[in-house]
Amino acid sequence: MIGKVLIANRGEIAVRIIRACREMGIETVAVYSEADREALHTQLADEAVCIGPAPSAKSYLSMEQIISATVTSGADAVHPGFGFLSENSRFAELCEQCHITFIGPGSDIIRRMGNKQEARNTMTAAGVPVVPGSTDPLTDAEAGAKIAEKIGYPVIVKAALGGGGKGMRVAETPEEFEASFNTAQKEAQMAFGDGTMYLEHYVRHPRHIEFQILADQYGNTIHLGERDCSVQRNHQKMIEEAPSVALSEELRSRMGDAAVRAAKAAGYVNAGTVEFLLEDNGQFYFMEMNTRIQVEHPVTEWVTGIDLVKEQIRIADGRHLSYTQQDVKITGHAIECRINAENPSRNFRPSPGTITDMYLPGGKGVRIDSAIYSGYTVPPYYDSMLAKLIVHAKNRKEAIRKMRSVLGEVIIEGIDTNVDYQYEILNHPDFVSGEVDIEFIEKLCR
Amino acid sequence: MKLQNMFKKTNRKNRAVSSQVRPEVPEGLLRKCNKCGAAIIAEDVREGNYICPKCHGYFRVHARRRIEMVTDADSFEEWDQELASCNPLHFKGYEEKLRSLQEKTGLKEAVITGKAEIEGQPVVIGVCDGRFLMASMGEAVGEKITRAIERATEEKFPVILFACSGGARMQEGIVSLMQMAKTSAALKRHSDAGQLYISVLTDPTTGGVTASFAMLGDIILAEPNALIGFAGPRVIEQTIGQKLPKGFQRSEFLLEHGFIDRIVEREELKEVLGHILRMHGLSDKKAGEEKQRESIQQDGDTGRALGKCDRQAQISAWESVQISRRKGRPVGSDYISRLFTDFMEFHGDRYYKDDPAIIGGLAYFQGIPVTVIAQAKGKSTKENVEHHFGMPSPDGYRKALRLMKQAEKFRRPVICFVDTPGAFCGLEAEERGQGEAIARNLFELSALKTLILTVIIGEGGSGGALAMAVADEVWMLENSVYSILSPEGFASILWKDSKRADEAAEVMKLTAFDLKELGVIEKMIPEPADYTDENMDEVCEALGDQIAVFLEKYSEMGAEELTEKRYQRFRKM
Repeated sequence: MIGKVLIANRGEIAVRIIRACREMGIETVAVYSEADREALHTQLADEAVCIGPAPSAKSYLSMEQIISATVTSGADAVHPGFGFLSENSRFAELCEQCHITFIGPGSDIIRRMGNKQEARNTMTAAGVPVVPGSTDPLTDAEAGAKIAEKIGYPVIVKAALGGGGKGMRVAETPEEFEASFNTAQKEAQMAFGDGTMYLEHYVRHPRHIEFQILADQYGNTIHLGERDCSVQRNHQKMIEEAPSVALSEELRSRMGDAAVRAAKAAGYVNAGTVEFLLEDNGQFYFMEMNTRIQVEHPVTEWVTGIDLVKEQIRIADGRHLSYTQQDVKITGHAIECRINAENPSRNFRPSPGTITDMYLPGGKGVRIDSAIYSGYTVPPYYDSMLAKLIVHAKNRKEAIRKMRSVLGEVIIEGIDTNVDYQYEILNHPDFVSGEVDIEFIEKLCR
Repeated sequence: MKLQNMFKKTNRKNRAVSSQVRPEVPEGLLRKCNKCGAAIIAEDVREGNYICPKCHGYFRVHARRRIEMVTDADSFEEWDQELASCNPLHFKGYEEKLRSLQEKTGLKEAVITGKAEIEGQPVVIGVCDGRFLMASMGEAVGEKITRAIERATEEKFPVILFACSGGARMQEGIVSLMQMAKTSAALKRHSDAGQLYISVLTDPTTGGVTASFAMLGDIILAEPNALIGFAGPRVIEQTIGQKLPKGFQRSEFLLEHGFIDRIVEREELKEVLGHILRMHGLSDKKAGEEKQRESIQQDGDTGRALGKCDRQAQISAWESVQISRRKGRPVGSDYISRLFTDFMEFHGDRYYKDDPAIIGGLAYFQGIPVTVIAQAKGKSTKENVEHHFGMPSPDGYRKALRLMKQAEKFRRPVICFVDTPGAFCGLEAEERGQGEAIARNLFELSALKTLILTVIIGEGGSGGALAMAVADEVWMLENSVYSILSPEGFASILWKDSKRADEAAEVMKLTAFDLKELGVIEKMIPEPADYTDENMDEVCEALGDQIAVFLEKYSEMGAEELTEKRYQRFRKM
């Protein structure tokens, strides 16, 4: 039985996990860097351990420090949240070696799904559609060009170990290919220390549709419906909603089945997300599987009524799923807006600093997950996300109205935020009509 | 608002009693870095070449592990494995000490020797193991190293020794001291037989090992921040009653003081060793020559036709002087990077310093290993300050000579690039014998038993230039100059007016045209107007062709004929 959890993260997700633990009667240990002494998660947890200086490489990414903190604090499980070490198979493996329950899938699953090529191969074998692409790892442009010809232009070059948009380039024509390949490879080499690349057909104007999965250790795997995360900038999501306007009941059922099949093929355990690209013709392709809790999990929680973090802990504790697929009912419509400390008029430049005053709204169908408070200083070292505004209403139209109302009430003084930018999106005719794809923001910025 | 202790804690009544195995860190999973003190994952250290992933500090490496790290898999064949010390002085307790160390380490003695391959090239290798009495050199260590060197001499293999040692072995007294002479003598024979010896210094290399085999490499490499010295730092501090400066006796200090060729990161060590071995390998040399011959046949016997330098269009001597000094004119390093491949710089004169005004090392010219030495000007004021404006100190000339002697030993052609206002003028230069250093080069180069080509690419300032121009042929770029001293100096000595430098330049006969006419140089290489590194490719192409022809022309000439010809070249002047 898990009695004490160390949360290997910071910010709103750490707070979110602490709250779930507290409700379950589980004690919490926060870890914090020297820059996060005053952070909400540090103060909110039952105990807090300093794990090093501000740069995350020396604190939130230091596996040794976190393992030591877990053992000395007497915690018996670690929740990695998202980002940082959450998808680091090495860290999960270290936890296993130290008899620490890692709240997430096993290290071997993380490793397999972390390698995009291997993940693709697994999915193809399981009959989950993938974007046509190279089957073998590529290291030089010449070999790549031949395969690109077969796949069909446009193609996208991606790093095998990539993520976050790094090491990715689109080549529209064969003439562009070599330059695109080489640039992507150089980036990959710098970011991940590995220049292994792969190629895919570039799907034009796709939507980003992802399915939430829950799987226990006994082979029970269900999906909790989809999230539409098409509103994104530089591969960073900005607005997520559930359900998606683009899915018919029939398509939802087909994609859901594919997602469950994908999770089963991976031998997946715990909460995970299967990401798809959805073309406007209804064709969908597996993109990748995220082996962690997602930032946007609250929208799923709201339309299903299932607490995902609590389920994660229960599954890690060896319990059976509390729900079957039949129990999952999608009710109403939920939207999440990410509020970041950044200045949209200055190319979204991060804006750390002290929040001098703030007011966050509430009311029926309004949920705010954040870690900020009046007087809090946003450190410059980490992700700039300050808060997630989540609303729930009986349909999309009402949810949009509610989100506009919420955005109109948010006051954060002292630093720049993207609240007004989000407000504009919520009023944009294309967003209102649901006519968005993943290039929506890019077009908006042009 | 401060949030200190404002929130209620978790209700402990609900706390579940854990039944599972309590979390703990298994033995050996984590370790502490003895340099920075951080907790680190032991496997990361093992897989990361025994380097701390946090502070990049180097851990000491056991001999067997070291052999695994630098040699090809399964290529190592151990020699004299059973050879052990037999307590020559009957030192009390020594045999017990040896026995317990033998049990603990699984080694018979403090060095492992044998034959192996590095990137496919056979080599005799010896590696000290610091766990065994700090790898001090007693009779067994000395004997094993000597036998390995002797066998390498006999079977014509290069030798690589990894030093890591406290020095002599006290328990073996005078017998230990004699090992210094024994190993050095064996290396002398190995060297006289024309074989390559690479010494790799690791932390720590001190005492009698430093004062024998460790410092005798044709090429001496060192790991970063290794302690290298004769007397230990503590002994020095006690003797002189002073604290030693930070970094004293570390690899970087030795590099600056001219005693090691290169500091090599552990990750790159195997690659660097492989590279050096290949450059000294016979098979590659032959292949290179063949390749070169082919390319010459393709281009015809004289290479691409050398463009004409047109005297009529030629500018005044003074203009040439100014062009030769112009900022933006290609410098030595530009020629090295364009004409050669795989340049590996070697440092130091082995006496006092590494002079940044001269860069030199090994490189391939169209597949042929050559020694390249260039007087190095910088491309910016900052770089110029770093390189002493291309004015070599005695240490620079001694480094150049050392590299040329090395070339002689391995029968590699030497290609020099001259570009200096003159030898460095200053207190330290005189203290260390600027005149002697230049004279020594003239003396030694006159009879160096290998081919020498000098190309004057900018300023050829007096003795400072000549010290690298006692060559079989001397070439000049069209607008380079070569003279007894600067026109300013000439005017000020003869006419007591340095402002008449332009006049002086005309009468001094310092341009390539004049010197070609005088027979001081063999060739002029044309250069474009406004010559910079942006349009130097055409110059390098022509120059490269000429060098290829030059190498081919002399390839069949024996050392005696070559040195006689060189003697006569200067004899007639």
